[in-house]
Amino acid sequence: MSANTWLATGNFFTTYKQEQRTFLTSLDRTFFTFFLVILFGWPLIFELGNKNMLVIDNILIAIVAVMGLNLVTGFAGLISIGHAAFVGIGAYTLASFSRTLGDSHVLITHFWPVMIILSGVMGAVFGAIVGLPALRLKHLYLAIATLSFQMIFEWTIQFFTFFNQGQTIYIGRVAWLTGQVGRKDHYLFWYFIILTIVVLLGFGIRNIMKTRYGRSLVAVRDNDRAADAMGMNPGLTKVYAFALAGFFAGVAGALHAYVYRGVGFESFTLHESIGYLAMAIVGGLGTLNGSFWGPVAIKFLDLQVESLAEISGQYLPSGMNIATALKPLTFGLVIVLFLMFEPRGIANWWRITKSYTKLWPFRY
Amino acid sequence: MSYFFQIVVSGIVVGSIYALAALGMVLIYKSSKVLNIAHGQIIAAGAFITYFLTVTVGVPIFFSFIASMIITFFLAMSVERIFLRRLIGEPIISVIMVTIGLGSILDGLIYLTPFGSENFSFPVFLPQEPLSLGGVSISWTQLVGVIITFVLIGGFSYFFKKSTVGISMRAVSDDQFGSMSVGISVPKVFGLAWATAGLSAAAAGCIIGNITGLNFDTLHAFGIVVFPVIILGGLDSILGAVVAGIIMGLIQQFAAGYLDGNFGLKGTGDVMPYVILLIILWFKPHGLFGIHEIERV
Repeated sequence: MSANTWLATGNFFTTYKQEQRTFLTSLDRTFFTFFLVILFGWPLIFELGNKNMLVIDNILIAIVAVMGLNLVTGFAGLISIGHAAFVGIGAYTLASFSRTLGDSHVLITHFWPVMIILSGVMGAVFGAIVGLPALRLKHLYLAIATLSFQMIFEWTIQFFTFFNQGQTIYIGRVAWLTGQVGRKDHYLFWYFIILTIVVLLGFGIRNIMKTRYGRSLVAVRDNDRAADAMGMNPGLTKVYAFALAGFFAGVAGALHAYVYRGVGFESFTLHESIGYLAMAIVGGLGTLNGSFWGPVAIKFLDLQVESLAEISGQYLPSGMNIATALKPLTFGLVIVLFLMFEPRGIANWWRITKSYTKLWPFRY
Repeated sequence: MSYFFQIVVSGIVVGSIYALAALGMVLIYKSSKVLNIAHGQIIAAGAFITYFLTVTVGVPIFFSFIASMIITFFLAMSVERIFLRRLIGEPIISVIMVTIGLGSILDGLIYLTPFGSENFSFPVFLPQEPLSLGGVSISWTQLVGVIITFVLIGGFSYFFKKSTVGISMRAVSDDQFGSMSVGISVPKVFGLAWATAGLSAAAAGCIIGNITGLNFDTLHAFGIVVFPVIILGGLDSILGAVVAGIIMGLIQQFAAGYLDGNFGLKGTGDVMPYVILLIILWFKPHGLFGIHEIERV
């Protein structure tokens, strides 16, 4: 594949094939390879300790989930207020295996890639079911459908003894080629696994958006009646979008269960759903790199808020519930402020920086 | 049999409050096509303001009831003015997400006060012993609550049908450009719609607070249960909101009364509205009284 040397000055594609290439310039490819090497290489040089590794794992899991949410909310333009429930579906798929077969069954410990994919498929099935009204309805109703799914999910988990009524269900340690992954390497091991999954799914989204389906997704978002007139099927496109988002969420849920070695109810509440939405909005809806910026920014903010709550908790009367108050307050503020002043999110800042450095020292 | 009628009565009581809570959402949706996800928080805010005025400041409860309605009137109006006025013309999806964010902010603000985590109840001002009619009993709080609810709903419908402001609100919901051309200020109407919604939310909050006690989670849950109600009613119909509210109240109470305890189920009353909602969305998505919109490219 020859590089397109003229891409910086304009669009000189002559075939669709050229436009669909993964890397448009050789500089792109070099940068990306370099970046990947750094991402995979740094843990071998520095040692961060389990606590920090857990934070990073958390961010990566959130990235997987938000990629799915971005697909349905950003690219397809359908609000999902129940994304945490879909993540929960993935986690509880794994948990129900753990409940029926025991938490260290060979299926869970040795065949974990299969389990992750299975959780994703379960998420996709539920996503499609919840998205079914999309065959006839528009975004507003779908937002409520996802909200009601979130409520039903929360009730189901808390009600059935099979799901331990929302208490933690344990998941065994997984095994790798060299044997069981021990306590010391657990988070590091999952860092590499999740990073690989993020890269694969990221390429997946990038490629989906270049296919017929991806283009019809954007067309349906921008004007579904016009898309209908052009011979697309808006309803089915939306249902598929929900199913895909469910798949991403399910994968994220299974990863969450494996990393925490347990599934508890409180990670999949309505607050978490709003958190995912905040990540997607802050990152930038309808962009792939937004799905990476958003979780990083929000999780970082989350850490700051937690430490702030800890500090201020010492000076304030104990009746004031700072820790529970600050989280929704900051999430809400971040959502509102970004929507009002930078609706395109951090991805837009990235775009501006990129075009600035490309042209520097000239203005345009 | 009296158990059955008891459930019917409590269903109507709960349902009429749903109707009142749903009214505010329908008003906002009708005028500006925005779905207010933060409605539950406004309901809670109204109830807590009333409690604060009654207990901490010491105002008689009826005055504080009216005062909290006035305060939320201006609160909701300023929410519209500060956050939503800038977003006129933006895609509706981002406006809805702003209301999600607003709900989160109000959540945080309420958690900052003691109201967020503790339980309170209004001082008793009505006779304690319930009214009994042929084996069916209804407490005075419930009765007064239902009466106030119906008076308010009646008042709102009259206001909507007859007053100049009400007519201009209906005109805006019909056609924004058309109403602009006859001299109606559309932003003003949006503000008023939010304000009236805030007012009705405060009323609903007070009545719920009197009947079930003040707990943020309960009040907040009311704001979410309203979604099934307005979907069943058809999103933009006041009559639909009332009918659907009562239907949903009955469904909930019947589920709680007959399903709980049998078949090893519990808490079905909380989940039933959402199950019904999903079913409605599959089979009759425009609700009982909703208008099936015809859209053109």
